[in-house]
Amino acid sequence: MVNADIDPDDGHAGVSRRRFLEVTGATGAAVGLAGCGGSGGDGGDGPIQITMDGEWEGISDSVIESLYEAGLDESIEVEILPGDFESGARRSEFTSALDAGRASPDIFMMDSGWTIPFIARDQLVNLSEELSSDTLDYVDGNYLESAVSTASDPETGDLYGLPLFPDYPVMHYRKDLVEEAGYDPEGDNWATEPLSWREFAEVAADVWEQNGGPDGDEIDYGYTTQADNYVGLACCTFSETITSFGGAYFGDHENLFGPIGDRPITVTDEPVLNTIRMMRSFMEGPDAEYAHPDFPQISNSDLRSFTEEPSREPFTSGNAIFHRNWPYAIPLNLDSEEFDAEDYDVMPLPYGVESGEGMYEGTGGPAAALGGWHLSINPNTQRLDEAVQVLEAFANEDVMVNNFSEGGYLPPNPSVTESVDPEEVGALGDFLDTLAVSGQNTVPRPVTVAWPDQGSQVASQVSDAYAGEKSPEQAMSDLESSLESLEEDLAE
Amino acid sequence: MATDTPADGSGSVFARPLNWLETQSEEVYAYVLLAPAFLLLGVVAFYPLIATFRFSLLANSLSGAEPFGEFIGLGNYVDLLTGETPFTQQFISVTLADGFPFVEFGAPFLQQALLVTLAFAIASVVFETVIGFGQALVIDQDFYGRRWVRVAIIIPWAIPIVIQGMIFFLIFNPTIGWGTEFMQWLGVFGDNPLSSSTDSFFIVLVADIWKTTAFMALLILAGLQSIDRGLYDVARVSGASPWQRFKYITLPLVAPALLVAMLFRTLDAMRIYGLIDATAGCETVPSLTCLVITALQESRRWATASAVAFLTAIVISAFVVAYLVALRRSSGGVA
Repeated sequence: MVNADIDPDDGHAGVSRRRFLEVTGATGAAVGLAGCGGSGGDGGDGPIQITMDGEWEGISDSVIESLYEAGLDESIEVEILPGDFESGARRSEFTSALDAGRASPDIFMMDSGWTIPFIARDQLVNLSEELSSDTLDYVDGNYLESAVSTASDPETGDLYGLPLFPDYPVMHYRKDLVEEAGYDPEGDNWATEPLSWREFAEVAADVWEQNGGPDGDEIDYGYTTQADNYVGLACCTFSETITSFGGAYFGDHENLFGPIGDRPITVTDEPVLNTIRMMRSFMEGPDAEYAHPDFPQISNSDLRSFTEEPSREPFTSGNAIFHRNWPYAIPLNLDSEEFDAEDYDVMPLPYGVESGEGMYEGTGGPAAALGGWHLSINPNTQRLDEAVQVLEAFANEDVMVNNFSEGGYLPPNPSVTESVDPEEVGALGDFLDTLAVSGQNTVPRPVTVAWPDQGSQVASQVSDAYAGEKSPEQAMSDLESSLESLEEDLAE
Repeated sequence: MATDTPADGSGSVFARPLNWLETQSEEVYAYVLLAPAFLLLGVVAFYPLIATFRFSLLANSLSGAEPFGEFIGLGNYVDLLTGETPFTQQFISVTLADGFPFVEFGAPFLQQALLVTLAFAIASVVFETVIGFGQALVIDQDFYGRRWVRVAIIIPWAIPIVIQGMIFFLIFNPTIGWGTEFMQWLGVFGDNPLSSSTDSFFIVLVADIWKTTAFMALLILAGLQSIDRGLYDVARVSGASPWQRFKYITLPLVAPALLVAMLFRTLDAMRIYGLIDATAGCETVPSLTCLVITALQESRRWATASAVAFLTAIVISAFVVAYLVALRRSSGGVA
């Protein structure tokens, strides 16, 4: 123990200053050195790490096994790490990893909605220079074009991410209620032949009416979708609906990825305004202010607070007839306790005007917003060659089928979806025809470095218009000026 | 044992400073011992503040690997204070006008982060202080079941912010909540309270008051219990009414504790984020912290985010200074 001297002056047991500093100083230095000892790994050895999410981590054994079967050298160890499930949180995580120049993880799973800003900032490996020409040709010739475009440099066209799985929404519906109301989805081929928005709305209104309607208390919603003021409104639900009416944010679809400052802003066009009016009718009825007189009421203003899950819950619990959502909702709906699996089906989203009749190239027809994820390589990785080999293995049809059947992830090559054995892929097997049609009609997100700001402006103005706080004309003209000023700010 | 060996042999490097230290006064010795703590405080508190200020003077770089651009001086501050940022919510966007009320709002009142935060801080602290004071006076009394009343008052304080946010979110959730219909029946809320800035502001305010009044009550109770009961006896004997006893004894003596409690609450209220995030979301009720998060995570405008953070620190320190002045005055007569 420390020397305890009796201080002759005051009689207290004390410790000399010298002794006190020596002991505390030595302890502090030892603790400090111990802290320095645990240095971070440099990513030089151990397995190739891919940050994905908890769902992928759950099926990682089968995914990795399929990579080896596809020809990946078995001496290359692969580890799938669970990233945050929420896309925005993962973007922040990757931003800080790349800004800090960290070597780990070697491969990122990136949202197609935010890969391009990383490409623009030169923070990813250029796969056009690294992948074999066979793989590049296969991707070029077979992958979903709109998915590849969200993984490529908009200026050079070079590939920076390998599409892993695309995601596109479908209309989920209660087949039993629709048939009881006198419709024949199977005879009319709803699974592959999209309805127009007007036909859809009339059917939805009629079926809802026969089940109590807006004033009854049997079923709360004829239709649920996502119309909250959030990122999904701008990238997806609003974007796909204006596209199906023949409108667009930036004119022709080739302008979706730029050039910033040198493309038209077309949000004040009639198709965009009509989309808002139609949604107003769906929520408030055709007689409401700023509503479209030709569309009936098929839902209510709760839509304005719905994101994906809140809009799915009423459907799965038997409280909605039609519901727009991504394929992830299919297995959940099949498991519903409120209706049987055979009472449920999906169809492509409705269209506003016929394909090709829109105001701009790429618009019109049953547009479905394209979500989905890519794999891209960390430029700071110590083992570029091995990481490239892992990506090569992912560009394999057996791996795609495995991911589809194990996790429900759609193949990035649509022909694989069409040719796959329905028995092999479980719950999604019954809906392959609809997914194939939706896959042919995808509209990519307008992702540029300006989009994070532009997307919030779109969501905010469209929300105001949906709420009737502004006329569609006023909201879209306000939106036009803020989009323009952002384009000017960022034009280079 | 190692510590029993004389230090002179092994610590020759430290011998001189140690010898010097032995000759210094208690005060110098105290400062020497405190120096590492101050150094640590400097690293964890002042360095981030200075770094944030330095970042805020740079341009945003949206298309470079490095998030900061060239030095632009106070450009980010000018944009923030004139309402020229590219966000859907502004820091502040107010211009002077000729006629009454002499100001014009460039964006709606509740879409301006500074105004939202100030309104929230003032309203929540006032209500929490008044209600908390009332609760403290009640639980300061001796009555049967006092223990249970104390528990009931403290329970909201024990609930995690996010859980509490979820409670209010679910109350006003359109599919399962009962709150919207009830408030509409009272005739005060619209169809979608959680997507209306005004309705949501009140939801967040009430949620905060419900939770943190208990905190105020506890701190004020501590102040009340430190008051010498003999003073009340003297007052009673001298014929002072209950109001006079409160005004001349309770209030002045509890004032220092009250001001400290209000200071803590104001600081907390100015930083409000979690409760908003868990209920209405930053798009609907944008507080100052919300604006920092939006600028940083959604826009990747690090420099603008730094400027908002620094301005937030300035606003908060203005409040702190005001409280410290008030505190000095209130304790001046006592201490």
